[in-house]
Amino acid sequence: MRRVLILAKMTMLENARKQVFHVVVLLTLSVVCASTLLSFFTLGVQVKILKDLCMTSILFCGGVLAVALGATAIPGEIESRTCHPILARPIKRAELVLGKYFGTLLTIYLGLALIAVAFAALLGARHALDVLLLLALGYALLEVAVVAAVATCLSTFTTPAVAAMLSFVVYVVGTIKIGYFKPLVDGVANPEARAVVRAVYHLLPNLESFNFKNALVHRLSVPEAYLAQVAVYGLCYAALALTVAAWGFARREL
Amino acid sequence: MHSAIATSELSKIYRLGRGGRKTAVDSLTLAVRVGEIFGFLGPNGAGKTTTIKMLLGLIRPTQGHAQILGLSVEHPEARVPVGYLPEQPYFHKFMTPAEIVSMHAALAGIPRRARRDRTAQVIETVGLQEQAHIPVSKLSKGQVQRVGIAQALVGDPQVLILDEPASGLDPLGRLQVRDLLIRERELGRTVFLSSHLLSEIETVCDRVAVLAGGRLAAIGTPEEIKQKEAETSVRTAGLTPETRTRISDIGGWMRDEESQTIITIESGRVYELIDLLREAGLPLISVAEERETLEEAFLRLAA
Repeated sequence: MRRVLILAKMTMLENARKQVFHVVVLLTLSVVCASTLLSFFTLGVQVKILKDLCMTSILFCGGVLAVALGATAIPGEIESRTCHPILARPIKRAELVLGKYFGTLLTIYLGLALIAVAFAALLGARHALDVLLLLALGYALLEVAVVAAVATCLSTFTTPAVAAMLSFVVYVVGTIKIGYFKPLVDGVANPEARAVVRAVYHLLPNLESFNFKNALVHRLSVPEAYLAQVAVYGLCYAALALTVAAWGFARREL
Repeated sequence: MHSAIATSELSKIYRLGRGGRKTAVDSLTLAVRVGEIFGFLGPNGAGKTTTIKMLLGLIRPTQGHAQILGLSVEHPEARVPVGYLPEQPYFHKFMTPAEIVSMHAALAGIPRRARRDRTAQVIETVGLQEQAHIPVSKLSKGQVQRVGIAQALVGDPQVLILDEPASGLDPLGRLQVRDLLIRERELGRTVFLSSHLLSEIETVCDRVAVLAGGRLAAIGTPEEIKQKEAETSVRTAGLTPETRTRISDIGGWMRDEESQTIITIESGRVYELIDLLREAGLPLISVAEERETLEEAFLRLAA
């Protein structure tokens, strides 16, 4: 665990210097701050739009960073050969995977924390803050953890560009899968093809389940059992993706 | 007592497209004794770096086994006593030498309290005190090489595996590396050294292995590697055809240089040649023994 933390710290410092991190976080922060220009609506509508816009921005920012940083963390180490002196230490390949993953996650959480503080400040100026904000933000972080795990997993099997592309596809499909793809899956005529498509459908992460934006916007209550179910689903999915990543990286010749 | 490094029939075969195969290392069996400086030579593509990568677990052998201080290299624990310098080390560009060495000290298990002192000590050993807090991206190749040496030393390793340690270093730097290796040996450490600088290998190594085409071509002390029979060159003048024939009969071969002739013969038969020349009334202009250098031995074995 100690070695994982050392590698996570190194990864966090590395990622925090990357241009993509600065650009995405600053852009998102700009969108959040610009949402104060919605003064032409009534206050109630203003608050709803603020919440919707800012949560969507945070979710998108988290997703993009998870793909961009997660898909390049390990391939970057392999291509630059910076992992060679590290792996010559008594370190297991799985520890490097976990270290890079947690470092990537911490960097993204740092960026999202800045945006969340700005969001909370803007919301607090117009409306009392409530626990739904923490709920929505917390599960957004879990969604980021899942997407980053998928990106990390794919990056151990293929090039950074292909891993990033596939991760982005998984992110988009996972975000809209219930609404758009479920009817398509059920509509496949051929039974064998339907079985394959269903298997792929269920294999893809259900990222919509981490999105509590509507609950925040419309102040809906969410059953605790459902929250627990989603949390367990997210943690298990991320753990499975990281297990496959560790297995894939252990087989890789450097 | 375990060898510091031992390999047994170690092989690495790469599969190429369309069913082709390339054997990078072929049945390598060698043992490096504890406390010796062991040179690992070979031309480009001989399999040196592949062998080192197999010892460190960076790639898996196709066949055979390897051990470091009695532990199979398949286990990460085998790398606990190892310090490794890759050929052309690469580090994260934003990190400073102090940060890199400190990180490796932490990965090597040095406690936090001792880490700062150990980092400073090693940085001083490699002569990077002034560059300790400058990002690697701003350092010269030689300075980055010194960072590599520092991170290899920081864990106080029992076995040092160095791939081209003098690469990129100026003559003073190379001298410092040589002194460092000798100091490590005096401390009882084992050094496994891959290098193209044959003069350095000949000076510091206790034993040498020569790899050619993935196979072990020779192993022994530098003296044992070199051709056993030394040769002597005798310079004379005024050779007649009859004398030339007699010289050839005793195994000498001649090369004419302007008005003189240089005769090369096995050192064991030089007195026969001298007697022959005296009998013929010919002058002995010079007599010099020539031993095969390690470079010549390397070229002979690598061919």
